[in-house]
Amino acid sequence: MSASAFAETALPVRADLPESHERAWQALAAAGTWLDGQRRLAVAAEIRHAYGCAHCTRIKAALSPNGVAGAHDSLGELSHAEVELIHRTVNDPGRLSEAWTQSILALRMSEGEYVEIAGIIAMVMMMDTFTRALGLPDRPLPKAVAGAPTRYRPPGARKDAAWLPIVEPPDVIEADGPMYPSPKAGYIYRALSSVPQTMRDYWALANCHYLPGAAIYRFDLPTMRAISRPQTELLASRVSALHQCLY
Amino acid sequence: MLRESMQSEGKQVALAGVTSGFEDGVDVAHAAELLEFTEAVVLRDASRLAAARAALLPLIGGAGLVDAAATVAAFHGFVRVADAIGIPHFTSPAGGELSGLRAEAGVDTFYRMQGAAH
Repeated sequence: MSASAFAETALPVRADLPESHERAWQALAAAGTWLDGQRRLAVAAEIRHAYGCAHCTRIKAALSPNGVAGAHDSLGELSHAEVELIHRTVNDPGRLSEAWTQSILALRMSEGEYVEIAGIIAMVMMMDTFTRALGLPDRPLPKAVAGAPTRYRPPGARKDAAWLPIVEPPDVIEADGPMYPSPKAGYIYRALSSVPQTMRDYWALANCHYLPGAAIYRFDLPTMRAISRPQTELLASRVSALHQCLY
Repeated sequence: MLRESMQSEGKQVALAGVTSGFEDGVDVAHAAELLEFTEAVVLRDASRLAAARAALLPLIGGAGLVDAAATVAAFHGFVRVADAIGIPHFTSPAGGELSGLRAEAGVDTFYRMQGAAH
């Protein structure tokens, strides 16, 4: 599905939405910071495959997610750590823990790889959820673009407030590239900041789907969408609650 | 954010509905249909989703349905970023303490708040 494939629906899709999808898929097909394009698309494929994982269904149904024996049904292209990160984050995100995160990192996944994969999960799930919500099929995955990861780690990234390192706004340096729209950006904005390109790719997509960053806390502004702000926040809060998300 | 948006329109909201599904109603236009749409998307139930879209379309129009879908989709991403990275959840973006709000919304019943996550 390219941008024009949204023409399959009679619904008036805002032009910035298919444009944001197109840019995001191009970014996902190219080398990132820690993963090359082929691996990033393998992550995308595993995300889609995870929906049907029987082991994830058993974990989801268990009182505790930590003691369920078995193995994920995976496509076999990624490591055990990558598959565990993807499947648990896709299917049971509200019951992740810092101890679980450390168990993933102990399997020799770097913090940068973890954060980049988390960003890919969020982006692919956002795009696929949008198309499915409109009754459209998943977009076929693009072909990988050759290239090497940049392996850029912001010098200001520190593990303090969250389970993974983040770059606090005062610690941003020029080499990090554009980071925050405001020094008061909330933790949800800072979450992916230890991999700046992933953070930028993610927010370019998220701002098109939800609201532009500068408008999020401006309840005095007229609605920017075709639904009211309370309608928007009703949807948002219910999605978060159904995922048992605390934020 | 829901409470703030409601207050900006001079309305109140019982935040317990966020976790209970607003079975007692909420003063938001077409709330029941929006919530049904949301739950159908989250549960990945294709037939329920098709019915929810059909019910919602005449109420909020095509552009409204697109923006409802985009919002629901956006939060499928937000929750995964927040939960996979483990960002702090005890303060609001403005720095305010949230324990009262969490209790009111019923969020204290969530798994991670039960001390069972470690």
